[in-house]
Amino acid sequence: MKTVRQNKLAAILFILPASLLFFTIIIMPIFMSGYYSFLGWDGINQPTFIGIGNYIELFTSPVAGFPKSLLNALILAVLSVFIQLPLSLGLALVLSRGVKGEKFFVAVFFMPVLISTVVIGQLWLKIYNPEYGIVNVALNSLGLEKYARTWLGEQDTALIAVFIPIIWQYVGYHMLLMYAGIKSIPTEIREAAKVEGATEGQIDRYIIIPMLKPIIKVCVIFAVTGSLKAFDLIYVLTRGGPAKATEVPSTLMVAMIFDRNRYGFGSAIAIMIIALCFFFALAIKRAFGTEED
Amino acid sequence: MLKRLLGTLLSVVIITSFMSGCRQETSKDQIVLTLWSIATESDAFSNAYSKAIKDFEDANPGVKIVHETFENEAYKTKIKTAVTGNKLPDLFFTWGGGFSKPFVESGKVLAIDKYYTDEYKEQLSEAALTYTTYNGKIYGSTYTTPISALFYNKKIFDENGLKAPTTFDELVQVCDKLIQKGITPIGISAKDTWVLAMTHDAMTLKSAGSEKVKAALTKAGQSYDDPDFLESAKKFRQLVEMGAFYKGATGLSNDEASALFYSGKVAMYTTGSWMAGSIQTDAENPSDFDVVPFPLLGSNAKATDFMGGAVDSIMVSASTKDPDLAGKAAFELTRSISKYAYLDGAGLAVWKKDYDDSGVNPMTKKLADFAANATSFTLWFDTTMEAEDAGEYLTLLQELYVGEITPEEFVSSMKKNLE
Amino acid sequence: MDREIKAVTNEFHTPTKAIVQKKIKISSILTYTVLGIWAVINIFPLYWMFTFSLKSNKEIFGDNVIGLPKEWLFSNYLNALTKGNMALYLINSTIVTGLTIILTLIVASMATYALTRLVWRGRKTVNNIIMLGLTIPIHAAILPVYLILDKLKMLNSYQALIIPYTAFGLAMSIMICNGFIVNIPKELDEAACIDGCSVYGIFFRIILPLMKPALSTVAIFTFLSCWNELMFANILIDDAKYRTISVGIQTLSGTHTTEWGPIGAALVIATFPTLILYSFMSTKIQKSLTAGAVKG
Repeated sequence: MKTVRQNKLAAILFILPASLLFFTIIIMPIFMSGYYSFLGWDGINQPTFIGIGNYIELFTSPVAGFPKSLLNALILAVLSVFIQLPLSLGLALVLSRGVKGEKFFVAVFFMPVLISTVVIGQLWLKIYNPEYGIVNVALNSLGLEKYARTWLGEQDTALIAVFIPIIWQYVGYHMLLMYAGIKSIPTEIREAAKVEGATEGQIDRYIIIPMLKPIIKVCVIFAVTGSLKAFDLIYVLTRGGPAKATEVPSTLMVAMIFDRNRYGFGSAIAIMIIALCFFFALAIKRAFGTEED
Repeated sequence: MLKRLLGTLLSVVIITSFMSGCRQETSKDQIVLTLWSIATESDAFSNAYSKAIKDFEDANPGVKIVHETFENEAYKTKIKTAVTGNKLPDLFFTWGGGFSKPFVESGKVLAIDKYYTDEYKEQLSEAALTYTTYNGKIYGSTYTTPISALFYNKKIFDENGLKAPTTFDELVQVCDKLIQKGITPIGISAKDTWVLAMTHDAMTLKSAGSEKVKAALTKAGQSYDDPDFLESAKKFRQLVEMGAFYKGATGLSNDEASALFYSGKVAMYTTGSWMAGSIQTDAENPSDFDVVPFPLLGSNAKATDFMGGAVDSIMVSASTKDPDLAGKAAFELTRSISKYAYLDGAGLAVWKKDYDDSGVNPMTKKLADFAANATSFTLWFDTTMEAEDAGEYLTLLQELYVGEITPEEFVSSMKKNLE
Repeated sequence: MDREIKAVTNEFHTPTKAIVQKKIKISSILTYTVLGIWAVINIFPLYWMFTFSLKSNKEIFGDNVIGLPKEWLFSNYLNALTKGNMALYLINSTIVTGLTIILTLIVASMATYALTRLVWRGRKTVNNIIMLGLTIPIHAAILPVYLILDKLKMLNSYQALIIPYTAFGLAMSIMICNGFIVNIPKELDEAACIDGCSVYGIFFRIILPLMKPALSTVAIFTFLSCWNELMFANILIDDAKYRTISVGIQTLSGTHTTEWGPIGAALVIATFPTLILYSFMSTKIQKSLTAGAVKG
């Protein structure tokens, strides 16, 4: 067995296609962005080398507002891990116990992920619309007019109003991963525990969740890196406004690169996003304990 | 089963990649020019482009123009990447002023002065090419000269005994009256910041006058920290504070905000002349609407001074295989597009009108008259300024709108921005 | 009357059982209520997309936002289908997405095998580096990717999308596969090895069949990320011949004004394949799972 598993040629053959793709399309662009981040460059004309000037501006310029955007992204990451994932896990656990209409529920809960972000974005714009939006209409009909507001347009409500749809949309995504993970745990284990007199809650807590750890780890990594890179829905809903209240690193980066022709500065933001995502991914991996071997 | 599926798909790949190897197989004497634009089939200019291309192909046998269209926002990203990668098509749509400046500086755009013949000169004034002229050379030709003006709902005005305002004070009175009646005076989108800028730009022009605005924006010795600029920022805040603007504007896109205007929920909207075309299709009763020049703030400007200018242009790639043909096409195409787009009511013509235009909708015609009798054109701030400054301007303006910064801070930040 | 007394006495005699049953009943009612509400919230976007695809701008923006269309504009569908070349774009999207899924499944499953079952120096490092694929913001990568593909003479072709889609999806796919493969007992490999299976045999005969649920999951996720992708599809493709549906739908909006109805119609058309593939793949997952493929 040992010799088989140490077959060097096989290892190379199996990893080669992935490495090639990964090197050309992922690693090279990272290095290129790293290089761009040291340039004063409009993305078109001759660049000038400015060392770490972009990075200094990133953390000192109040106009650019990078630290605030970073804080917003971290809030989203925290909300994702502590609200979105528990919701997903709860749903996955309940559904995998075998409720009636299990397949139906799994399919329906995954629906928001299937539908294009354009649709989801437009829908939430309607929900939050100050004039005819569902939220305000509901508040008015309950006699709570004073709480009705321009949810996406006011600085103190915009951030949370933007985060709710982001968190909601991907509950199904993580649920499906966890559900498939739970389902691949042999049913014999569950039955054996039942025979011993364990309740459903106990089975979940002491058997299923520990066995689901590898998948939960993957979900946490996806949720955190996804939050740090979040862009689409924020762009549709607020474009980072009003007055930067919902700015996250990605929206800032896109504004810099494409609206303001500051390719070097935008690349510096990109490098920060990459570094942070990578750092958190490694930290999460470590926190969950190393895999066997 | 899976293997068979794989096999079929693999053969599909091989066949398609083989097909892509020998694509664009056109007959030898045919010359193909590629044109990129934002005139998607849903755009108001689409029809004009198609007709113009057909005219050109008919007049030049053996020439084929391949027209690829892209969505406006996505196109901005695409064209920049194509310039960087040196992959510009023979002819491409772009915006004059600050947007294309880096393209020209990179040397990837062809100067087309020598194709600007006397025939064209007579029909398209050199002044119309101001925004496609860089360092004294012409780099593109244009087909429309949009201007911005104050659109208003005549029916609401009549019902409340109001007259279209000509000065800022009258505008304030109109707003006051409408607010008393429970009607929101002005529609605006503070999320699509360019809509916000439409109003603020017009106010600044009418407060400071064309020369001063141009000098400040092009960094030609005029500071932005100036009483006239401060005046317009203050009056802008005054409108916000009195509740003249639709109160949820910060959460609305242009589509949503203008829908409120079309349906008569707000009484006024300041935007580009293209709204005249949209009113025809989107408003229930187009004749309820009318348009006037933006009201005056003080005496530095006249009613006939307008924000606007010919920036929508077609440029030629420096790496085109047939510069002579492409250069000629840039002028021929823009001339035809100018005509057809005006007849469609899609935009104001910039080339001389030597055709019958009785079928054009009255509001577009009125705007065309404004443009024909204009004493000056001042290009919108975000188009005049270079990308970086323009982005900053729009951000600052949004902050001014929500009250994050004061008019004084706005003016001094703008001064810093333009240094 | 008799019965009631009986029931009461019954309850009296075995109180715990009755209470437990009642509890279960209440908790299951609660469960179904929560699931039901959540289901309504999640199915709403689908309903909304269908209805707005049949409305005019006037209804979408204010007159009738949520309700059924007052005027059923089936012409929106005609509009969406005749403008541009939606049929071609759908075919292109199918080709690109299909090939990306196949390539991803092959490459990711092979890599996962090498990374988790084979022993070689540096594999932990590689395992960590893979995660870099999750970190790149796509907007910053677009110019480098464009320049690289240009060097490889691959711009403006199906490959121009398939290659980057696969590369960008790899990290996610490998991590999902990793999460599942750890539950496949290593003893199975060993048993196969004793039976004379080679390293390749183990992969093809043992690992691949047992990874089916993971691979189906990866297929769904890869499909989603390719099908709706806009940025790469917009920049890397110039020729309308290779244009995909997401970019095609985008061109339905005009510069200053946009008719949203036809866009809704196009989105409905574009979502259909997603729903079909999803239901197909998820039954696959269910089947491969309930077949008890994985035995502890």
